[in-house]
Amino acid sequence: MEYVDSLTGFRLDGRRPNDMRQIRGEIGVVAKADGSALFEMGNTKVIAAVYGPREVQNKGQQINNQALVRCEYSMANFSTGDRTRRPKGDRRSTEISLVIRQTMEACILVHLMPRSQIDIFVQVLQADGGTRSACINAATLALADAGIPMRDLVTSCSAGYLSSTPLLDLNYVEDSAGGPDVTVGILAKTDKVTLLQMDSKLPIDIFENVMQLAIEGCKAIAQYIREVLLENTKLLESRKGL
Amino acid sequence: MLQSKSFAKKTKQGRVIKVVREHYLRDDIYCGATFCKVCDTSAARLSASASATILIVDTNVVLNQIDLLENPKIDDVVVLSVVLEEVRHKNLSVYNRVKALCTNPLRKFFVFSNEHHRDTYVKDMIGESPNDRNDRAIRVAARWYQIHLGESTQILLITNDRENKKRATEEGISAETVESYVKSLGKPDLLDLVVLSSSVDVPMEDVEDLRPSKKKIIYSEHKPMSEVTSGLLHGIYHQGKLRVNRYNPFEAYVGSESISEEIVICGRANMNRAFHGDIVAVELLPQDQWRDGKSLIIDDDDDDEEEVHLVPNSADDVPRFENPVQPTSGSSPPVSSHPPGRVVGIIKRNWHSYCGSLDPMPMPAGNAGVAHALFASKDRRIPKIRIQTRQLGNLLDKRIIVAVDSWDCLSRYPSGHYVLLIENDINSRPFSSQVLACLPPLPWSLSLEDLANSNREDLRHLRVFSVDPPGCRDIDDALHCKPLGNGNFEVGVHIADVTNFVLPGTPLDEEASQRGTSVYLVERRIDMLPKSLTEDICSLCSDVERLSFSVIWELTPDANIVSTRYTKSAIKSCAALSYVEAQARMDDSRLMDPLTTDLRNLNSLAKIMRLRRIKRGALTLASPEVKFQIDTETHDPLDIGMYQIREANQMIEEFMLAANISVAEKILKHFSLCSLLRRHPSPTKEMLEPLLRTAAAVGLDLDVSSSKALADSLDRAVGDDPYFNKLIRILATRCMTQAIYFSSGDLSPSEFSHYGLAAPIYTHFTSPIRRYADVIVHRLLAAALGISRLPPIFMDGPQLTSIADNLNYRHRNAQMASRASVELHTVIFFRNRPTDTEARILKIKSNGFIVFVPKFGIEGPVYLVAKDKGSSDWVVDEAHQKVTKAGTKITYGILQTVRIHMEVVEPQPNRPKLQLTLII
Amino acid sequence: MVGLSLGEKQFIHGGIAEDLRTDGRKRLHYRPISIETGVIPQANGSARVRLGATDVIVSIKAELGKPSSLQPDKGKVAIFVDCSSTAAPMFEGRGGEELSSELSVALQRCLLGGKSGAGAGIDPSSLVIVEGKVCWDLYIDGLVVSSDGNLLDALGAAIKVALSNTGIPKVTVILGPSPNDQPDVDLSDEEFLQFDTTGVPVIVTLTKVGRHYIADATLEEESQMSSAMSVSLNRHGHICGLTKRGGAGLDPSVVLDMISVAQHVGEQLMSMLDSEIAAAEAAAAQEQ
Repeated sequence: MEYVDSLTGFRLDGRRPNDMRQIRGEIGVVAKADGSALFEMGNTKVIAAVYGPREVQNKGQQINNQALVRCEYSMANFSTGDRTRRPKGDRRSTEISLVIRQTMEACILVHLMPRSQIDIFVQVLQADGGTRSACINAATLALADAGIPMRDLVTSCSAGYLSSTPLLDLNYVEDSAGGPDVTVGILAKTDKVTLLQMDSKLPIDIFENVMQLAIEGCKAIAQYIREVLLENTKLLESRKGL
Repeated sequence: MLQSKSFAKKTKQGRVIKVVREHYLRDDIYCGATFCKVCDTSAARLSASASATILIVDTNVVLNQIDLLENPKIDDVVVLSVVLEEVRHKNLSVYNRVKALCTNPLRKFFVFSNEHHRDTYVKDMIGESPNDRNDRAIRVAARWYQIHLGESTQILLITNDRENKKRATEEGISAETVESYVKSLGKPDLLDLVVLSSSVDVPMEDVEDLRPSKKKIIYSEHKPMSEVTSGLLHGIYHQGKLRVNRYNPFEAYVGSESISEEIVICGRANMNRAFHGDIVAVELLPQDQWRDGKSLIIDDDDDDEEEVHLVPNSADDVPRFENPVQPTSGSSPPVSSHPPGRVVGIIKRNWHSYCGSLDPMPMPAGNAGVAHALFASKDRRIPKIRIQTRQLGNLLDKRIIVAVDSWDCLSRYPSGHYVLLIENDINSRPFSSQVLACLPPLPWSLSLEDLANSNREDLRHLRVFSVDPPGCRDIDDALHCKPLGNGNFEVGVHIADVTNFVLPGTPLDEEASQRGTSVYLVERRIDMLPKSLTEDICSLCSDVERLSFSVIWELTPDANIVSTRYTKSAIKSCAALSYVEAQARMDDSRLMDPLTTDLRNLNSLAKIMRLRRIKRGALTLASPEVKFQIDTETHDPLDIGMYQIREANQMIEEFMLAANISVAEKILKHFSLCSLLRRHPSPTKEMLEPLLRTAAAVGLDLDVSSSKALADSLDRAVGDDPYFNKLIRILATRCMTQAIYFSSGDLSPSEFSHYGLAAPIYTHFTSPIRRYADVIVHRLLAAALGISRLPPIFMDGPQLTSIADNLNYRHRNAQMASRASVELHTVIFFRNRPTDTEARILKIKSNGFIVFVPKFGIEGPVYLVAKDKGSSDWVVDEAHQKVTKAGTKITYGILQTVRIHMEVVEPQPNRPKLQLTLII
Repeated sequence: MVGLSLGEKQFIHGGIAEDLRTDGRKRLHYRPISIETGVIPQANGSARVRLGATDVIVSIKAELGKPSSLQPDKGKVAIFVDCSSTAAPMFEGRGGEELSSELSVALQRCLLGGKSGAGAGIDPSSLVIVEGKVCWDLYIDGLVVSSDGNLLDALGAAIKVALSNTGIPKVTVILGPSPNDQPDVDLSDEEFLQFDTTGVPVIVTLTKVGRHYIADATLEEESQMSSAMSVSLNRHGHICGLTKRGGAGLDPSVVLDMISVAQHVGEQLMSMLDSEIAAAEAAAAQEQ
């Protein structure tokens, strides 16, 4: 199957190899939460809600000098092409919850909120490849909306290598092609990598190219997230009457 | 801008999924005209002058008229991406041809991605069929082109679809049919390439009465696809590839997985328009219609006979017959074990272009010179094809290529159109300029950088020499043999370093990969690589420095390997000997110079290695290769004889085998999942059956439990007749399978073995100049040694498998072309030279037998009765493999010597054949 | 959620008694409803309903299946509700399961009728393809994204809207050679079967706080309720289902009174939903 058309250079959906899908972010979708956001990457739609900082529910887990960050990832029954009932505690969800938690924990200034708990809940409404990245981006927005102090914005993007070309932001069809899939999460301003995952195999020099491409994708998303947050702040300002 | 496409899909398990895909629209897609002022012209392909007409073709035009489009006179064509997608789904081979046209820099074909262009994207309307939607997309794109470039050039939409044309004209787009456009160009030879749409009002003149009112349905309709699929599922129909009997085109076999025996299809009606190589769905005939076949060398309609041909080298070349002879005396004939069936549907067509000539016919009187001729392909398995042409006079009596278009159930023959005229029998394709651009300029010599490369050892001081057939100019291997201080020998095999010049991914590499191998014909060679590489730059000629890839062993005096090393090297060959010269040197006891000593040392080592191989069970089969001596002026064969194998040949062969085995071991160690190896599957019991039967008939007991057992039995098979052993070996050869290339990731290690060589692992390393498989192995070895990186193609398992399959296919084709060439020259030789000679009987039939002529290495049929007479005179004794004339003592047994007369006859013009008759 | 102080509780009770609730509404007023259709393109039909701060998404997927042997001429419909942890932290893990199953059962009762399938709001006989062999299985999945009271109403409304948005592909049946075999089904991409949603009921929940009932309670108001009753009503004003929640007992006359109030409120809700659905369909058609 040709993932990059040799005659035109376009991918299956008409993008060029280093084009990202259309992204959209919205803040404040869940009114009851302290912070929430909706993030879309192409057809992948994710809602993140943040509750906290609040009192620790389970006293046994309380940490005395920093906040406890908890995260839960779940997919809706209708999120994928074929509808399946998903038990909440299955392995893939647990793994992704862990990944998101670790990524966000690295950027939240947890020592500012000891003995408290910050809950991040991520719900996938539609999955079309790149759910991990969309979740992290949504979580970043939601945390910003909740006003939780962070070191920097964390953004994430995935890249792959099919038909001998590095491709940015794989969708579900390209992801299931069985080629390598590299997910990168970086701290936007300080340029530090906080998340790096890959499956399948790649020779080292090609891997460098693919990772570089993913990092550039992350930077572009960071740019967009900054704009969204700026818009939101302006809106709040105007509401406040400033 | 983002659109989304959604459709419902049914999975294999029967579940329904709704699939939603993104579809991005861009505004950076350009029109492709070099003179356009608005667009970016960096990728433009259409011609520079604004006066040319730009053609936009629709799908059916591409599918049906691909031969017309390939003609260089048609240019400046815009192929829309919607058209390209439709073509890809309907016919992959046409798609590949269009793709080749679009990527060829010499042709002006431009691919316009109309589906992703913001202005030309067409959204599906409710209630519109996909075909209508695509037609609408084509019209919108044509309109866009008209607006975009209309002032400067003329845009023309070419379509044969009446509805589309009407709508286009209504919308203000200029549209024309193919015929009218080609007519306007005024080139009659182009018109021939135009495939006419099959309409009933085209009159057909033929022997049959084909007036529309009298046309009757000759063949039954093919069943619709859905019925075929459900029939296959329920086991009523069987799917398989149709294999037509070369010696009886109205008999074919279908081997299907769902049934253990092959289904036999007899008769034109039952074949129901299926071609050799098609994937068909077959229905078994009801029990009462099961006839049994006779193994006569005869068939029904046309007069096709067995032809004289080369002795086959493997089971693939052996002509197939039906079940062996049954006694003509006696009761009701037993039911044949091949169930008969008939074709009910064709799942996949395997239509190609075929080579052959037109049946002679008188020039037509009227009809503006359009003649309806019958084309007979050289390949007897293909039925005759009806074509229309205006150039009948030009084409009669010549070899032409014809492509098939259609075959409906009303016509006796399929319809096709003429494509090309070819000069000789073989269509040789020169290398394109893109390929030649990859070559280093001549004169080439070793440079300082080549030597300075740390991966390359300087072995120019070694006494390296090569031994090849006389007149050989593409020398790919050379050897050296140096006695070491400790009594051992250092032996090196140096192979031309082709991969130094043929880099992966270049046009040179692509072309070589497509060709797969050099083809050796009697008079000439179709090279895999350009001549400058094969005969000069890579060839290890004597007295010049050349780059090579070496395998160097330390061997004890009894040829045991102490150590092996591999390296890239630079050598300087001191002598390029022929086999005769090398043999003469070794035999001449007076010569004591270092070169001769080396030869003798190598020879003694080789003899030990060969003996060891034979002990392990390597087979020495007889392949009576025939050699021609050609007159340089008339190109007629002067003499024909068997290829002589001398000790020198065997010596070189031995070391090449050893090198191949060593390299195979090395690359497998490093790349166990993606090495290209070569295996020879052991023959099955069924394949060895004919050999065992024949052997039993002459009282010989052969043990076929293993290759060693067989080799030993063959060695023991000696009779008072000096030729006996050779004959048995020839019969054994017919039972062998072909050796094939494969990727090591596809099979388990126990399946890697090479039966014939009795080696657990084998590959091809020693001839990269003429085999692409060796080029691949060179790359693997270089990566294993860390010299260069393995190209990414090796990571892709399925692609490597398809490369191996392609190589096997090309190898087969090259072999068949070679054999055809030899057979052709055989006929030419014997024309005007009727000869009487000795022959041995190989197989008994009820109306004659098949003989082998040792002097010329050919085999063919000898008839005892005239074809059309009955076969009741001669009685066949199956058990003793004898045929006896009834009531007499005249009998002929297998392996018996007879005298025959060989003469070329021409029962049909342009179809000469060699005929063998018995001299009583 | 933070607990309510005594003062706040009194404020709520008082307001309701005065027909002036905390957010300014009258007792039987609904919060502004906003409806979006087609939010999940991968599903056959979907809708998102926002009732104030309550946000629910419903998706409907149709799959091929075999009808149950008890009712070979009807298709199958299943309703599942999932409370996402984004709605409230207490829904994390298995915390939301209780509420989810309660909502699912209530919806099933209101919309699908009894075990025999009689009186269903959604008619399953339109889902059968080949009697006894092939039918459509309809999976209705609800997801509560944000919860601010009155989930049942929101879900009911969302289901009605989603059904109006649902398109099931038309099928052509290819019968196998023998009558016992499973026939093969061919899907057509273009034509769709639209559901007739005029018969689908809506659910109206009335919450009794003190001596009055309110419609469309927020989370805070729900915390103060003594009992609540959800009535499912269809276009003709007939009752399709009834659920009572809450510990306090109700006088039977009160129950009948609540039902008549619910009918009245239900009519308004129904007409509002219908107009929204029509508007959404018109917008979709225009886009085409």
